Amino acid sequence: MQKYWSVLFGAVITAAVGLFVVAPFMGWWLPRNVSSFGGDVDLLFYLILGITGFFFVLTEAILVYGIWKFSSDPTRKATYTHGNHKLEVLWTIVPAGILVMIGIVQVRTWENIKYQSRMPRPGANTQQIEVVARQWEWRIRYPSPKRMASWRSDPRLAQDFGAVPHQDDVHVPNELHVWRHQKGEEPQKVLVHLKTRDVLHSMKLVNLRLMQDAVPGKTIPVWFMVEEYNTSLHPETGRWVDGFDPKTGHWNQKDYVWELACAEFCGTRHTAMKGKLFVHKNRDDFLEWLKWAEAEDHRRTPAVPSTEP
Amino acid sequence: MSVSIPHEAGAHQHPQLSFLRKYIFSEDHKVIGIQFMFSGVIFLMLGGALALLVRLQLGWPHAQVPILDKIMGDGSAGGRMGYDTYNMLFTMHASVMIFFVIIPLLTGAFGNFLIPLQIGAPDMAFPKLNMMSYWFMWPAFTIILISFFAHGGAASSGWTSYPTIASISMPAGQGFESPAQAGSGWGQILWLMSLIFVGISSMMGSVNYITTIINMRCSGMTLFRMPMSVWSLFITAILQAFALPVLTVALFLQLMDKTLNTSFFLPPGTLNFGNWQTGPGGGQTLLWQHLFWFYSHPAVYIMILPAMGMVSDVISTFSRKPLFGYKPMVYSITGIAGLGFIVWGHHMFQSGMDPRLGTGFMLATIMIALPSAVKTFNWLGTIWQGNLTLNTPMLNALAFVSMFVIGGLSGIFMAATPVDVYIHDSYFIVAHLHYVLFMSTVFGIFAGIYFWFPKMFGRMMNERWGKVHFAITFIASNGVFYPMHILGIAGHMRRIADPEQYQFLKPLMPINEFMSISAFVLGFGQFIFLANLFYSVFWGPKSGRNPWHSNSLEWTAPSPPPHGNFESPPVVYRGPYEYSSPEGEEDYLPQTTPPGETKPAGEAVPQHA
Ligand code: HEM
Ligand SMILES: [Cu+2]
Ligand SMILES: [Cu+2]
Repeated sequence: MQKYWSVLFGAVITAAVGLFVVAPFMGWWLPRNVSSFGGDVDLLFYLILGITGFFFVLTEAILVYGIWKFSSDPTRKATYTHGNHKLEVLWTIVPAGILVMIGIVQVRTWENIKYQSRMPRPGANTQQIEVVARQWEWRIRYPSPKRMASWRSDPRLAQDFGAVPHQDDVHVPNELHVWRHQKGEEPQKVLVHLKTRDVLHSMKLVNLRLMQDAVPGKTIPVWFMVEEYNTSLHPETGRWVDGFDPKTGHWNQKDYVWELACAEFCGTRHTAMKGKLFVHKNRDDFLEWLKWAEAEDHRRTPAVPSTEP
Repeated sequence: MSVSIPHEAGAHQHPQLSFLRKYIFSEDHKVIGIQFMFSGVIFLMLGGALALLVRLQLGWPHAQVPILDKIMGDGSAGGRMGYDTYNMLFTMHASVMIFFVIIPLLTGAFGNFLIPLQIGAPDMAFPKLNMMSYWFMWPAFTIILISFFAHGGAASSGWTSYPTIASISMPAGQGFESPAQAGSGWGQILWLMSLIFVGISSMMGSVNYITTIINMRCSGMTLFRMPMSVWSLFITAILQAFALPVLTVALFLQLMDKTLNTSFFLPPGTLNFGNWQTGPGGGQTLLWQHLFWFYSHPAVYIMILPAMGMVSDVISTFSRKPLFGYKPMVYSITGIAGLGFIVWGHHMFQSGMDPRLGTGFMLATIMIALPSAVKTFNWLGTIWQGNLTLNTPMLNALAFVSMFVIGGLSGIFMAATPVDVYIHDSYFIVAHLHYVLFMSTVFGIFAGIYFWFPKMFGRMMNERWGKVHFAITFIASNGVFYPMHILGIAGHMRRIADPEQYQFLKPLMPINEFMSISAFVLGFGQFIFLANLFYSVFWGPKSGRNPWHSNSLEWTAPSPPPHGNFESPPVVYRGPYEYSSPEGEEDYLPQTTPPGETKPAGEAVPQHA
C-alpha cells in the first residue's frame, strides 16, 4: 500500500513538467524579443532549460521509482552500504563539467550587454537619451532635432549630452522613443544615460530582455538596439501611435506594445511606474516625431525645469 | 578528540525547580528549544496570514473585500487594498518568515534540542547564555509586533530594505517620518531595532553551539561519528558567527542614517523628494547591498543546511540503510559554506555594480550548485535498495529532496548573468526562493517536528492526520509556487501590487488567481498540523525511548529526557547510520552498542508506521 505514495510524487512532477509544455501555447511564456542581444539571452535560457530539464526529470524519476520499488517489505532487508567511491567521483565530475561549460558560454553575452567597453560612443550615429527615474515616473530627455543635426556635422558635440542638460532639450515623460536598426545596415545603437532623482528604480524592458537598476548618485550607461518597429503615424489622429504591426498595417496589436516597467521596489506607486517603448521605422520618422514632441513640450512647459539630479 | 565533561549528569541530581525556572526561565537546552519551537510556530501563523493577504491582492487586485478596511484602516478605504498596505504586507511577510520563523526554528529550536542530545552531552556549554539567547528574542518579538501599529505602518521596503527608499530620513528635528513613503518612517526604525535583537540572540546561540560541539562530545563521539544534523548545525553556527556581525553593522548604520541624520547610504549630490532636497551625503547607496548580501547569502544557507542535516537523518532511519556517502555529504556542506561567502554579488548583477565583478560572482555561483547536486545524488543513493517506511516524517523528508531539486536547478538560471538580466526581480526569483525556503526548508522542519516530537514530549503525533496534512501541503504548495516560474518567464515583476497595470501581464491573471486559491487551501491545511501538534502534546500515545528504531544517541535517553539528558554518560562505539548491518540481528545498531554485540540495548517498542 505504502508504495502508492510514489504516485503522488509522480503526479506532482508530471504536472510540473506539463505546465512548462502547455505554457507557451497559452501565451504564458517569454514575450516577443526585438533586441539585437535578446536572441542570445533566449538561447542561453533554452540551453539551461534543456540541461536542467533533463536532470530534473532524471532525478525525480529515480526518486519516484525508488519510492515505488523500495517501499517497506518485511521480508526484505535493506542493502548495507556506506557509499560508492566511483559513483561519488562520477556525479561530482559530470555536473562540474556541465556547470563550468554553462559558466563559460555565457560570458560573451554578458560582456556584450553590460560591459562599459561595449557601450556605443556618443557620436553622430548613436542615439542618446537620458532616462531619469523618480517616484513614480520616467522623465526622458532627448536632444533637440537641431542638436542632433549638429552632431552630424561635428561628432564631438555629442559628448556632453549625458552630463549636461541643455536649454533646447526635449522632455517627454514615460515615453521612450528610438528608431529601428535594420539588419545588415549600419548599426543604429541607443545609449541611455540612466539616473534617478530619489530612490532605486530599475528600467525593465521585457521585449528587449534588458534590465538595469538606476542608482542614486550614479549615471549608468545602458545600450540596446531594436530590430523591429512598432510605431507609425496614425492617419486619423495625426499622432505617432505604437502597437503597430508593420506586416499587417494594423494598430492595437498586443505583440507590438512594448512596455517599460520599474522592476526595483521604489515605494507606494511602484506598481504604476510604467512607460512605453516606441520604435520608429527610421531616423526620419523619429525626427518627425521629435519635432512634434518639441512643439508639444514648449507648449506645455515653456520653462523646462532642470532634470539634473 | 572529544573531551567528556566530568559531570555526573543525572536527573536525580538536579534539585526540584520552581515552575518558573523549569518552564519559563529555563536553562535546559530542551526547554529552550521547545520555547523557540512554539514561538516559531506562532510567528508562522502570523507570517502565513500576511502571505494570504498578499495573495488576496494579487489574485483579485481590484476586488472589494468588505472586512479589509476594518483590519487595515484608512489605507484600504472601501475594502480595496491600498498600495502602501500591500507593500507593508509583502515586506513583513518575508521579514517575519525569515527572521522570526525559519532561523529561530532551525537553529533555535532544533539546534538547541538536538545538539547536546545527539553528541551525548548533558546540556549546552553555556546554559545561561542559552537562556539569554531565547529571551533576547522577546524584545525583537515585541518591537516587531508594535511596529504594525506605528505611525505610517510597519516597514514597507522589502525584507532587503534597500536604501535609499528605506534609509532616507527627514532633516534633523523634523521627526522620524520618511519623505520616501509612509512605511519607511517609524516602521523601518522599529524593523531595524528588532532585527538587531534577533542578531544578538542568534550570535549567542551560535557561540554556544560551536563551543558545545567542539568541547562536549561524549566519549567515543568523534567528529565523523556525529549525525548529519549536528554537522549541519555546526557549520551553520560557524556561518552565522562570521556573517552576522556584518549584518549587525549594516543595521546600525542604517539606524543611524534614520535617526541621527548620518549619510552612510546617501550619495554625494542631492536627492529630490517632493518639494525638498536632501543635503549632499558622503556615502554609497550600493554599500548597503554589499553588506546586506554578505550576510544574507550565507544566511540563505543558514536557512537550509540544518534542514538538510535533519532530512539526512530521517531518510537514513526510514530507509533502514546507512547514509550514502557520509563524508562527501560532510564535505559538501563545508563546501557550500565556504563558497557561500564569495557569491553574495549574484544578488547584485543588475544593481549597477561593475559588470566585470558580476562575471566573477557568476562563476563562483555556478559552482555552488555542485555540492547541492552531490547531496541530492547521495540522498537518492540512500533510498536506493533501502526498505522504506513511508510515514509522515519520511514523506516530508522525501518532499524536501524532490523539491530541493527544483530550487537548486532554478538557481542555475539566475546564476547565468545574461538570463538574470531578464529574470532578476521577477517572479522567477520568488519561485526559486520559495522552492528552497518553503518547499525545502519548511518540509524539512515538518519532517523534523514529526520525527523528534516523541523525544520532545514522550508522545506520538497522529500518523493518519500527519499524512493528510502532508498530502494537502505537498499538492497545494506546488500549486502556489510552481506557476511562479511561468510568471517570471513571462516577465512578471515581483513586489507589484497590481499586475493589471501592465498589458503584458493581463493574460497571466488566471495563473495568479489559481495560485491564490491554492494558497488559501495551503494556509487552512496547516490547521490540521496545529491541531495534531497541540492534541498530541497532551493526549498522543506514549512513545517510549526509541519508537523509530533509530541509532543516534538521543534515542537512548528517556522520552522526554530529564534535565541532564542521560541516566549515565553515554559511550559511543560506532557511526550513527548502522542500519541493516549484517553484524546485527535487528536492522539497527545504536551508536552505544559495543563491538561484538548484535542486539540493540533498551526497551523494544513496536515501530509505528
Ligand atoms: C543551488 C544553488 C543556488 C544557486 C546557483 C542560487 C542562485 C541564486 C541567484 C543567482 C539569486 C539572485 C537572483 C536575482 O535576484 O536575480 C538567488 C536568489 C535567492 N536565493 Fe538562491 N541559489 C541557490 C540556492 C539557494 C538556496 C539553497 C537558498 C536558500 C535556502 C537560496 C535562497 C535564495 C533567496 C532567498 C534568494 C532571493 C533573495 C531576494 O532577492 O529576496 N538559494 N539565488
Ligand atoms: Cu519602482
Ligand atoms: Cu544568494
